Order: sequence, then C-alpha cells, then structure tokens
Amino acid sequence: MEFWSEYLSSLLMGFLTTSELVAISAPLGIILGIALGASRVYGGIILGSFARGFSALFRGFPLIVTLFLVFFGLPEIGIYLPPVTSAILSFSLCSGAYISEYVRGAIMSIDQGQSLAAKAIGMTKLQEVLYIILPQAIRRAIYGISNEIVYMIQYSSLAFAIGVQEMYSVARTYNSLYFKSLEIFSLLAVIYLVLTALTTLFFKGLIRKLEIPSKAE
Amino acid sequence: MIVLRAEDVWKRYDDTIVLRGVSLNLKKGETKVIMGPSGAGKTTFLKCLNLLVKPDKGRIWIDGEEITSPKADITRLRQKIGFVFQELNLFHHLTAIGNVMIGLTKVKGMSKSDALKKAKETLKRVHIEEELWRKYPAQLSGGQKQRVAIARALAMDPIVMLYDEPTSALDPGLSSEVLLVIKELSERGITSLIVTHELGFAYEVADEIVVMNRGRIIGGGSPEELRNAKNDEVRNLLNKWNGLKDGVLV
Ligand SMILES: Nc1ncnc2c1ncn2[C@@H]1O[C@H](COP(=O)(O)OP(=O)(O)OP(=O)(O)O)[C@@H](O)[C@H]1O
Ligand SMILES: [Mg+2]
Repeated sequence: MEFWSEYLSSLLMGFLTTSELVAISAPLGIILGIALGASRVYGGIILGSFARGFSALFRGFPLIVTLFLVFFGLPEIGIYLPPVTSAILSFSLCSGAYISEYVRGAIMSIDQGQSLAAKAIGMTKLQEVLYIILPQAIRRAIYGISNEIVYMIQYSSLAFAIGVQEMYSVARTYNSLYFKSLEIFSLLAVIYLVLTALTTLFFKGLIRKLEIPSKAE
Repeated sequence: MIVLRAEDVWKRYDDTIVLRGVSLNLKKGETKVIMGPSGAGKTTFLKCLNLLVKPDKGRIWIDGEEITSPKADITRLRQKIGFVFQELNLFHHLTAIGNVMIGLTKVKGMSKSDALKKAKETLKRVHIEEELWRKYPAQLSGGQKQRVAIARALAMDPIVMLYDEPTSALDPGLSSEVLLVIKELSERGITSLIVTHELGFAYEVADEIVVMNRGRIIGGGSPEELRNAKNDEVRNLLNKWNGLKDGVLV
C-alpha cells in the first residue's frame, strides 16, 4: 500500500515533468521545423545551406548524443543549462530537424501555379511564402508533424540520462528500490499510452479543423 | 494612350527560341485577342509582360513605367496587370471571397472591412452570387473558379487584364459564362489582352486580333480585316480554327 501511494505520487510528478518537456519542446520544434523547412527551399545559398546542414546534423546522430553534448559538453565552453532546459533544447533541435523534412517536402509538393498566382497579384516572395505556400504546406505536413510529436513523447524518456526526473526515471528509481518491475512498468506503459492517445486525438482534431472543404458540404 | 507596350521581346528555353521579337501595344480601353497554334509562345509572351517569365531581350512598359528596367519596382507594377491563368489556380486554402481579399489586405494594405466590401462588389461583377462566397475552390465548378480568378485580378484595380486561354481548362458547357463576363468587362472599358482559341468569341469581342506563330506575330487586324486576310499563313491558320468552329467565318 505504502509503495503504491508513494509510487503514484512520484509518478504524477514525473508525468508533469514529461508533459512539461513535450508541451514546450513540441511547439518549439514545430516552429523551428517550419523555419528550417522554408529556409531549405527559399533560403538561397547562405541560409539554405545553413538549414540543410543543421537538419542533416541533428538527424545524423542519436538524440542521446545531443543531450550529452548540450548538458555535459556546453559547460566546457562556459554554458551551463539545467537538465530540463537541456532536454527541451535537445528535443526541439532534434524534432525541428525531422519536421523540416516534412515541411520541405510539403512545400515542394505545392503546385507552381499557386506561386505564379501570388506573384501575379503583386505579392513579394515573403508574402507569397507566408500567406499562400506555408498555409497549404503546413496542412500537408501536419500528419508527419503529429507523428514526430508522438515520437517525442517516447524519446522524452531519454531525458533520464541527464538527470531529469521525468516518468521513466521515476519508474527506474522505484524499480531499483522495490523490484516490482511488472507493476511499475505496466503502469508506466499505460500512462505513455494515454499520453500518446491524447496527443494523437489532439492532432486529429487539429487536422479536421484545418481541413480545406472539398466537394459539396 | 498606350497602357501596355512590349518591344522586341525574345525568350529562349535551352535550345528552343520561343519568342522571336514580339512587339505589341495596347491602348486604354482596347481589347486585343492573341490567337495562335499550340506552342506558338502565347503563354510565354503573356507571362513576360508581368515578368513571371523574364525575357532574354526586349523592353516592356506598363502605364509608362518600364517593368524590364533593372530598377523597376516589379511587385508594384505587377499590381497594375490582372492575370488570369490557363490553369485554374485559385488559392486552394482560401474561400472564393478570401481569394479576392488576400491581395487587397496583404498587398494593397486595405483594412479587412474595406477589402470585404470591395471583394463582394467585384464578385458580383463576375456574377458570383452570395451563396458561393464562402465556398472553397474545390467546391466550385470550373467556370465559377475561373470567374473568381477574374475577380481576384480585377479587384486589384489593374489598368489592363490579361487572360490566358481562360476557358481551355473548362468543360465546353462552362465556357460561355466565363466568356460572357470577359466580354462584359471589355465592353465596360477594361483594357484587355486575351489569348483564346475561340474564334467566334474573338470576332465578337476584339478590337484587334493578333495572330502568333512560332514565336512571331505573323499578322493581325480588326476582325473585319482578318476575314479578308491576304497573308497565306494567317488565312491557313484561320481556316483551321474555323474548321473547329462551324459557321463563324464565311
Ligand atoms: N518552362 C519552360 N521550359 C522549357 N520550355 C518551355 C517552358 N515553357 C514553355 N516552353 C516551350 O515554349 C514553347 C511555347 O510555349 P507556350 O506555353 O508559350 O505556348 P502557347 O502558345 O501558350 O501554347 P498553348 O496554346 O498550348 O498554351 C513550347 O514549345 C513549350 O514547350
Ligand atoms: Mg498557353
């Protein structure tokens, strides 16, 4: 009984931390991904190469390496970030890199006529991208983006490695104290499952809201 | 008064020369029709006029300002040219009225309420009724889409409207409503340059018809003059189109 009440309350704290990690990293990653994706298509030589390099870099090695670089590596050049901040930064960079792939692909899939029509009414390139291309591209990229955020929930557990007290790290600690692996991790699994389901539901709602009506209503 | 002037426009793609020195003037209130076989360079020429395609050589003036000048303010000059495309390319993510408003709010900097008012007026001018204003392009017929596209261009108060085969992507039955709108606008003094294959329509609406072939203007004149064209190449082309449209040309 003691075990359960302690575990549950610790797990609740962990749940809040996990939620905080995802709730902050997801929007940051999405914004970064859109900016990177657009830069890769429209950024020209300098910004474009930077964006391409950036996303190739963060897709090029495991997230755990990014976490360690940020949390243990940066202090060597005088930048000290707390664990939660380090995790948020790493997650945003990583998801931004992947999301930029979806955004880039979606931008490329928008037919040329949309761009010509925007130019023909006198839009600047920036207006064209902001008001015509991105609103359509983001709608196409949103399925990929929602997958990426679901992955983020899963990989947020890696934050335990730099000492963030999120759900998985709570479960690990209790497991090493009580050896009730089945109970401890089953409950953990269920909570991740619920979180994933809620996120999926959220994105389904968003997709429905953003859907462009076609045919007769 | 000449509102649009193109002088010796050349364009090549790789090893095909698509435009070989095309010149054309458009007077205020005038309606000109460009006809020519597929691949003649009609679309390329129209797109050169507002620099959607950059000519290799030649100069273009809009309302007395040279758009081909290196220091031209291209986005501002483009607002003076209404362009209706061969493909139906309304902005997919915006409603009919949204398509008309976006240029007014974002490009012209109008307030939402002014833009809304202007968009409604313009949609009425092209016979798009209120029940269609909130529909998205995918919910409209081809003819409705093309009329919204005309409204989108017209709302910007251009000094000239360019139409690139505005009915070629439509089912035959839907062409007439679009052609009617173009004719009405032209009759009300909107300066127009129209590329079309519809010979009957061309005769009805044009002050002058210009015939293009292989990147050159090979002839032209008023509908009356064309009916009696002496130039063999022009005659042959006209006869060919005429074969498609029975009974228009004697
Ligand atoms: N972006 C491009 N790249 C290469 N070639 C092109 C391009 N655009 C047009 N062309 C070529 O230029 C020629 C003229 O094309 P254009 O579209 O101007 O003809 P058109 O008179 O409008 O024909 P249609 O009646 O079929 O619309 C064609 O041979 C076409 O293949
Ligand atoms: Mg064409």
